Amino acid sequence: MDPHPSTPGALLRRSLRRHPRRLGWATVLLSLHQTCEALVPVAIGVTIDRAVATGSLPALVASLGATALLFVVLSQAYRYGARHVVTGWFTETHQLRVEIAARVLDPHGLRGAPPTGELLSIATNDAEKTGRVIEAASLVVAGTAALTVAAVSLLTISVPLGIGVLLGAPLLVGLLQLLSPWLTRRTAPQQADVARTAGLATDLVRGARVLRGIGAEDAATARYRRTSATALASTLRSAGAIGTYQGTTVLGSGLFLLAVAGVAGALALDGQLSVGQLVTVVGLAQFLAEPVGLLGFAGQKVAEARASAARVVGVLTAEPLPPAGRAPRPGPGALALPAAGFHVEPGSLVGVVAPDPADAEDLVGLLAGRRPVRPGELLLDDEDVAGLDPAAVRARVLVEPHVVVLFEGTLRSAVDPSGDAADDELLAALTAAGAADLADLELPVADRGRSLSGGQRQRVGLARALLRRPAVLVLHDPTTAVDAVTEEEIAAGLTGLRRGRTTVLVTSSPALLGRCDRVVVLRGGVVDATGTHGELAEHPDYAAAVLR
Amino acid sequence: MTDQLLPVATGRRAGRVVADELRARPLAASLTALTAVCAAAAGLIAPTVLGRLVDAVDRGEGTIWPFVWALLGAALLSAVLTGLSAVLIARLGETVLARLREKVVDRALHLPSATLDRVRGGDLLSRVGDDVAKVADAVTSALPQVAGAGLTVLLTLVGLGALDWRLALAGMVALPLYVTALRWYLPRSAPRYAAERVAMGERSQALVSSVQGADTVHAYADEARHRAVVDDRSASALGITLGVFRLFTDFGWRMNRAEYLGLAAVLGVGFFLVRSGDVTVGAVTTAALLFHRLFGPLGLLLFTFDDVQSAGASLVRMVGVADLPDAAAAPRVRTAARPAVELRGIGHSYGGPPVLVDVDLALAPGERVALVGASGAGKTTLASVLAGGLDPAAGQVLLDGEPVADLRAQVGLVSQEVHVFAGSLADDVRLARPDATDAEVVAALETVGAGWATAMGLDTVVGDGGRELTAPQAQQLALARLVLADPPVAVLDEATAEAGSAGARDLEDAALAATAGRTTLVVAHRLTQAARADRVVVLAAGRVVEEGTHAELVEAGGRYARLWTAWSARG
Repeated sequence: MDPHPSTPGALLRRSLRRHPRRLGWATVLLSLHQTCEALVPVAIGVTIDRAVATGSLPALVASLGATALLFVVLSQAYRYGARHVVTGWFTETHQLRVEIAARVLDPHGLRGAPPTGELLSIATNDAEKTGRVIEAASLVVAGTAALTVAAVSLLTISVPLGIGVLLGAPLLVGLLQLLSPWLTRRTAPQQADVARTAGLATDLVRGARVLRGIGAEDAATARYRRTSATALASTLRSAGAIGTYQGTTVLGSGLFLLAVAGVAGALALDGQLSVGQLVTVVGLAQFLAEPVGLLGFAGQKVAEARASAARVVGVLTAEPLPPAGRAPRPGPGALALPAAGFHVEPGSLVGVVAPDPADAEDLVGLLAGRRPVRPGELLLDDEDVAGLDPAAVRARVLVEPHVVVLFEGTLRSAVDPSGDAADDELLAALTAAGAADLADLELPVADRGRSLSGGQRQRVGLARALLRRPAVLVLHDPTTAVDAVTEEEIAAGLTGLRRGRTTVLVTSSPALLGRCDRVVVLRGGVVDATGTHGELAEHPDYAAAVLR
Repeated sequence: MTDQLLPVATGRRAGRVVADELRARPLAASLTALTAVCAAAAGLIAPTVLGRLVDAVDRGEGTIWPFVWALLGAALLSAVLTGLSAVLIARLGETVLARLREKVVDRALHLPSATLDRVRGGDLLSRVGDDVAKVADAVTSALPQVAGAGLTVLLTLVGLGALDWRLALAGMVALPLYVTALRWYLPRSAPRYAAERVAMGERSQALVSSVQGADTVHAYADEARHRAVVDDRSASALGITLGVFRLFTDFGWRMNRAEYLGLAAVLGVGFFLVRSGDVTVGAVTTAALLFHRLFGPLGLLLFTFDDVQSAGASLVRMVGVADLPDAAAAPRVRTAARPAVELRGIGHSYGGPPVLVDVDLALAPGERVALVGASGAGKTTLASVLAGGLDPAAGQVLLDGEPVADLRAQVGLVSQEVHVFAGSLADDVRLARPDATDAEVVAALETVGAGWATAMGLDTVVGDGGRELTAPQAQQLALARLVLADPPVAVLDEATAEAGSAGARDLEDAALAATAGRTTLVVAHRLTQAARADRVVVLAAGRVVEEGTHAELVEAGGRYARLWTAWSARG
């Protein structure tokens, strides 16, 4: 895969390069449209000069006919040009969003990923604003084309006027461009504040049920109000900047009109220009406000695109959690943490009891690759996992976290995400997980498994892990949300299905521990005791941790 | 069951809500309107001056200087007023928007539990996320432009009328064509905008759910499928967006035809008026220039109509949520500590077979009762009824023998659903009681044995984007919130289940400490929780089948005794 652009500028340039055909057509057609727009005042001038001032009916018919033709070209050029612009813009937005999603879901994880709400805002708003650079680019070219046509028309009427416009217009646009970085600086904090407000709203809404439980809705609302007020204050500050920018744009084009009309008027009063020519010159000078404004608008959008592109680049170039490595050699599935004195023999069923839950979390987090592995810390079939590719390690060592996450779909897709198991295998896994009551594989499952009870979610997660048949399976407290009777069924089903395959059960459930080949007690991150459940149960410490 | 959408307001209703907000700020609103009108009027000065200049040239007399000074004045005035009106419109619009988004979040957070269960997660999230962003964007960029352009169009027609009423009439020939074009466009585009919103909601949901479940996605090497879902939903939203825009450009072509006819009419009528000597060439020039000047604002109205309509679709969705009934505005009055609780004749079903059948359950003041039963026995439903999260189909809940209007004011619920709120640890706990001092927060944390929290520092940022807490730590925070909220009645719905068995006992101790002195109902999976309760109630298939102290029930040799044997005999 191509390396991602590492600066906002590079990202914007790539956005432009990615859509050459769309951008090309958009630029050509919108330039044609702007050219025709520039010719409308010329057509009005000609009509007044040749028809209105002379009273010639054929001249009126001829000039209105020509103007009609001009309008047809003008509107068709816009119609198709704008379609190309928007198609390019939103296709680019879509591509950026897909890249962001790919980056966030990278098998190697992401270091310092922004909170979900902010990420959502980056993948929707910022991607769209970045993609808009395509529109801005074609408007810059089209606006320039219109300025050129206007200048040429003016040159044929009066050389000094034409030269004045040719020099004055770019100068004006250049001066307005100087304001653009200032505008970016003034609007960037506002964009960040608005994103933070959106993030807070998402976070609170996600915890709405928890808030209701303790009647904290009002407190949460008050907290959101405060953040919203901060965002409002910063938005109001940047509104001043935007107002200044717009006022300056209007002043610039007003002064420009003044200069052109002043010189042309003086020439006309002196008899050097006809009335129609004056009308054309004045009409053009007045029209020039449009391309100049267009360039100002494009400048503003580029500034916004740059601020958004910086956030998109932040996600795209975030470093992967562990560096990629080579794939592990095939092996029987032996695990070892030498420093902790923790060993799991291939094909054995080992229980892990951790009186301090943090020890359990640490072990499971390490095995799941949620944090980088230090060299020599973890061995898989005598190979140092620190040098191995995390995704390839996960293919051999499956960790089903304690909090089971299910995605929207059916029971079938929840148990079998890859979708290649046969029905009887699915049902066997469900039965072993004590979930035989969930027999309808097409049962709809809501996002995060919310349509299931806590116990059902846990059992479906267990069935999912069992169906996968990994070389090494690590389960963390798989039966906490099920009742005692079901737990017993699960213990039997689980050990039956995993016979001969390496399995680590991090649990304190006697029902599960009683069936383990060996039980290891972890204290302070190291192995404190080891033996069968029966042997260990003699020790008061162990009994206190397990038998309750 | 979980695919319902939240209500959407009508356009009329959304307009009324906005109008009410404006009426609440009469001075700001009228000042803003006045400035916008003046800014648009200032824009008319330049073409009028230019028309006079044409007449002066036609007559061949006068100097350029008066015109130059007039144009300079026009430019300055126009610039100042345009800038000012942009600022004022943004201030007003953003303030109204901030009020509205606060109201939307307020209502979203006050949604009844039953509604939360029914509503699609993505729908609620996109109301407070995408929709707010869309409307904000319109308020920031589209609103000032649309207001300016609309006023320019109106005032230009007035200006044309001042020149000659026949010229104004000629310009107005275009109006019916604009109206026809709009009437062609609106009914075709509105449903597509609505579909676009829905597609965007689904897109957000796909992304959020994949990101939040990233560990699971990685564990099952399921990245490709999740990426495909996001790609797919993003692509289908893209398809709708492009379809809508195609329609919009067809609409633009219809608008251009109207522009041409208006311009041709002004020039044609002007031609005959000049021939009959009714108006000067300068007046026709001014009229043509004025009308030509309208193309920009009309184009802008056309350009932004899209944004405005799309923002309108978002606005009605926001107002739909904001208009939900305001929950419990009345101050919450707490009963005396430790009330007696009585659930009388409770029955309920979720539209299928009954979940609870005629359940009677009494808790003495300060008593701790454990609810035991297999999955699906109705434990959680009964807990929700007592916690005030669910209105049962039959029966009622009495506190100290009296029915209570607002049960939730008296009852605190900690369920197995954990959420660590993004922000500092202190802020998280303080959600339960915003005016709590640091000392009270620390005391609450210590009550539930969360010494790690003070060790970590109360300012530590936790939750989404902050330091990750373990499941037991997260649940301890939830219990600390309960302590700080200090409700007289507490319901714990398997509050220790998510923690995992290793931490379960610590959490059980924490739960005991958190509920000390409160009338408490505990939904228990771990029978040790039941054994430590004052009394045990066994629920099966929605009915109370056994009731008594732990010792009595073990003695009685029934269902509970069998469970206890299975439990205590292990190992």
